Amino acid sequence: MSASTTKVTDPLPCPRCRSNTTVVRAVSPKAGVWTVYGCDTCFYTWRSTEPEENTNPDKYPAVFRLSPEKLAKLEVAPTIPPLRSTKP
Amino acid sequence: MRAYQDFREFLAVLDQEKQLLRVTDAMMPEPDLAAAAAAATRLGNRSPALLFNNVAGYSDVQIAMNVHGSWANHALALGLPQDTSIRDQFFEFVRRYRLYPGQLERVTSAPWQEVVIDKDINLFEILPLFRLNLGDGAFFIDKACVVSRDPDDWNNDDVENVGCYRLQVKDSNHLGIQTVPQHDIALQLAHAEARGEDLPVAVVLGNEPLIMLMAATPMLYTQLEYKMAAVMQGQPYRVVQNEKGLDIPYGSEYVLEGRILGRKRQPEGPFGEFPGYYSGCHQYPVIEIDRVLHRKNPIYESVYVGRPWTELDYLQALTTSTPVFDQLNATFPEVIAVNALYTHGLVLIVSTKVRYGGFAKAVGLRVLSTPHGLGYAKVIIVVNEDVDPFDLNQVMWAISVRVNPAGDILMLPNLSENLLDPACQPSGIVQKMIIDATTPVPPDNRGDYGELLQNPVGTDVWLKKLGALTKELQK
Repeated sequence: MSASTTKVTDPLPCPRCRSNTTVVRAVSPKAGVWTVYGCDTCFYTWRSTEPEENTNPDKYPAVFRLSPEKLAKLEVAPTIPPLRSTKP
Repeated sequence: MRAYQDFREFLAVLDQEKQLLRVTDAMMPEPDLAAAAAAATRLGNRSPALLFNNVAGYSDVQIAMNVHGSWANHALALGLPQDTSIRDQFFEFVRRYRLYPGQLERVTSAPWQEVVIDKDINLFEILPLFRLNLGDGAFFIDKACVVSRDPDDWNNDDVENVGCYRLQVKDSNHLGIQTVPQHDIALQLAHAEARGEDLPVAVVLGNEPLIMLMAATPMLYTQLEYKMAAVMQGQPYRVVQNEKGLDIPYGSEYVLEGRILGRKRQPEGPFGEFPGYYSGCHQYPVIEIDRVLHRKNPIYESVYVGRPWTELDYLQALTTSTPVFDQLNATFPEVIAVNALYTHGLVLIVSTKVRYGGFAKAVGLRVLSTPHGLGYAKVIIVVNEDVDPFDLNQVMWAISVRVNPAGDILMLPNLSENLLDPACQPSGIVQKMIIDATTPVPPDNRGDYGELLQNPVGTDVWLKKLGALTKELQK
């Protein structure tokens, strides 16, 4: 990971998976307009100026929520091939 | 035919042709950028490209959307007059496609080398990223070309790949990538992963308009998109080779160099996809970005993807129709044209001459065995050569009077289909249908078809004349 993502001292829970692994990804070039947050568990990203459906865990649409159980069961695509014993 | 040197030259031509709208209204990144782009395609056949420069939080930003988002802009991308009909654009696209291969022109420097960032990369600071649809899992880069080579055949230019894949910005220097198994990059990644290696890639953004069309064309694994772009523009395609040996378009605004991390998967999605529904979440491969290069005052380009029609439908219209036509026509020279415009060719219309009873159904079946037919074409409508497949008024007329469902509908159960088609049951499997909307001919003696009406003599001449007069009237 790059050093330029900043750990938040009092992290907001991720609106999608509710984990506390959220960080500030960026702030607006014009100071104070918005902050972009991201989650290092489910990789959800949101901007502080978006509607509550995107920023508030309680308002985030149920259909898009990801629980730890759901995250563990996501389909892997494409599948990872076996390692070749010798390079061609 | 025309070769645009870079993205900016194409935008300048759109501007001259009054096909570029500069939007200076103050807007929020969400939802305004996506909403404006979604609205633009509803303006019709002459919908302009949009260039935004007043987005909240940015002091100096240029975001281009809907660049290919009308038949007028599509024609200009091909170097044709903007009022060229879809049918004429199709035949010209086919003509050039059949001239493959053209040449690469390798030069040593390009404008995108002006600014180099090789430490503390933060994509959220470098690119003006934003969300397209409310349920998207993140901000996506969705109008970039991804350049890669085959690790098992590294120096073979013909298997170098330029493809368009959705890219989820995961954190400051990581992207998720959707590598659909049918696509070339999935094969190259599988080779790298079997070797236990990363796959070097270059993500190139803001390009002259042809390479994106080529990246969206399902051509053969051994055909190089740059060599197809060369025949499409009538000149060698100019590239710069990077340190890894990847060829980068001369005219890009941004170049992100990195690697698909071998044998690694991470949560990705959802993303509002081309069928008009969200894709689910999957564990997809991850790209680590090592270096970013860009022009000074770069222009960021994005495509709104949502419920059709959107700009995306123009990107996968003739680029889908042409290879299917080429393959069908190679088997059946009677085939005149293919319209695969609707939702990436999930519905597909073929016009053909009919040699004998049952022939049209065989043409329909042949569609299903083309590479695109294996994963997309689900409803196939076959019409006679007197019906323009790009004119839905004519196609609906043919279905109205030339179809007797008792003998003209073939239903084929349990065929393969793209996972993104929500109608699949189970996922990846669907029933397909051929509608034979051609007039029955012997020995298929069905129906009671008398004499077909012909247009009055001179109708075509009057069409041109009235068209010109109407244009004058509306000036």
